[in-house]
Amino acid sequence: MTRHVLAPGTMVMLALLSLFLLSFRAGAADFSPASTPQIEINTVNSGPRAMEALTQQNVVRHYGRAWQSLADAFDRNTLVSLNDYFVGAAKDQLTGTVKEQQRTGIHSRYLDQRHMVDVVFYAPEGDVVMLHDTVQCDLEVYDGDKSIHTEPAVLHYVVLMTPGADRWVIRQLQAVPQF
Amino acid sequence: MWSSTTTTTPNRSAGRAAFLLLAATGLVSTSFAQTVEMRPPTAAIAGQPNAIQTSGSGEATFYLLGPAHTSKQLVNLGHEIQLPADQLRAAGKYLAILCSSACQSASFFVTAASPASLSFLVHPSRVPVKQENAISGVAFPFDKFSNLVLSPVTVDFQLKLSGGDSLSRPTPTQHGVAWFRAYSGNHAGAAQLVASLGDLSVRRVVQQVASDPCNLRIRAQRTAKGILVETEPVRDCSGNPVPDGTIVTFTETGPGGKSTVDMPIKLGVARVELLASAPAVISVASGVVMGNELRLGAQ
Repeated sequence: MTRHVLAPGTMVMLALLSLFLLSFRAGAADFSPASTPQIEINTVNSGPRAMEALTQQNVVRHYGRAWQSLADAFDRNTLVSLNDYFVGAAKDQLTGTVKEQQRTGIHSRYLDQRHMVDVVFYAPEGDVVMLHDTVQCDLEVYDGDKSIHTEPAVLHYVVLMTPGADRWVIRQLQAVPQF
Repeated sequence: MWSSTTTTTPNRSAGRAAFLLLAATGLVSTSFAQTVEMRPPTAAIAGQPNAIQTSGSGEATFYLLGPAHTSKQLVNLGHEIQLPADQLRAAGKYLAILCSSACQSASFFVTAASPASLSFLVHPSRVPVKQENAISGVAFPFDKFSNLVLSPVTVDFQLKLSGGDSLSRPTPTQHGVAWFRAYSGNHAGAAQLVASLGDLSVRRVVQQVASDPCNLRIRAQRTAKGILVETEPVRDCSGNPVPDGTIVTFTETGPGGKSTVDMPIKLGVARVELLASAPAVISVASGVVMGNELRLGAQ
């Protein structure tokens, strides 16, 4: 029978390796996708066209996915996430921001998003919807790994969405101090 | 309209504790954190340069995060931080962060500049005449940086119908949008819709076409092969000729049963040749509109 005895140096190396792997796992957890945004929609003020129930469901689903992809893009500094749910000026602006975040080494996180969405305009032909969104989230900004700003934020956005081939897309996303 | 927060993170607290420990043991020279303040702009307009006033002394790292902009630069405290026009093109919320011994942040809002373009959506592109609320238009004012102008402005909608009628409807924007609905005119032809805002003007054309046929009538005459049935010129109730290509359905009902033929209107009329030898009733319809009936005896 052969006994394998580890040298003390090897054991130290293994211990360090375990610590490294643990810290790597912890780091990986930090980069897990942001939690799914919670969206509540109110169509009482919608007009001049009443919003159909199916349209409400689709707007909520696609708006939530848009914010999830926005949070993903801002956290990981990847442009790919912005392709599916943003078009026009909204996409241009977000793309510009992510590119500059890449350049400067900054990234930001929109965590624990809760959206209270008010439909304030739904075009007569159903081809444009305007939303007033009050977002509550934890906003964190990092320069590399260093946290430079954390804030339980309440943000107000005016949003224009239009129907695309198979989804509603965000064409305008503009923050305002209040509605 | 700005707010200010100071960020204290666990990492920073740990670092500060270590620093104080080292300072207490005399391993590093101590320098106490100074109070740094930022005064961001209270009213900023897209595309216009602005500045943030700072207090204190020494160097700090300044971060600006906006809707379409992110930057990082070293600044000297106690001086104004210049925000060039190209950094403030996008309307929305900007977050300014200043880090020296600790990080301070303040936010401010940039509002859209004056309207420079109108996005004007009109539906439909073709509309039957004499329809209530058949034409709709929606206008969004944007500034030259593609920001939605949310402050109220008045968009003047003008509808010029082909018969010479016109209407003008000044409509103030609400939440950055103005819209209108209008009836279609009595006469087929192009209707022009114009949305104006100051010097801005956007034109759209809606083609008004004849509505459903009215007084659809047929006549018949015997030919060598059978019976030629044709409509009188097909017009709507306003007298507009129904467009060529519109389908007219001829139905022949006789002892042998019923047969149906669909024919398009050509040059204003629809015609069909039927092989009717026995007595038959011939009727005509177009869409939901029924025409007259002809009763033909045996040949």
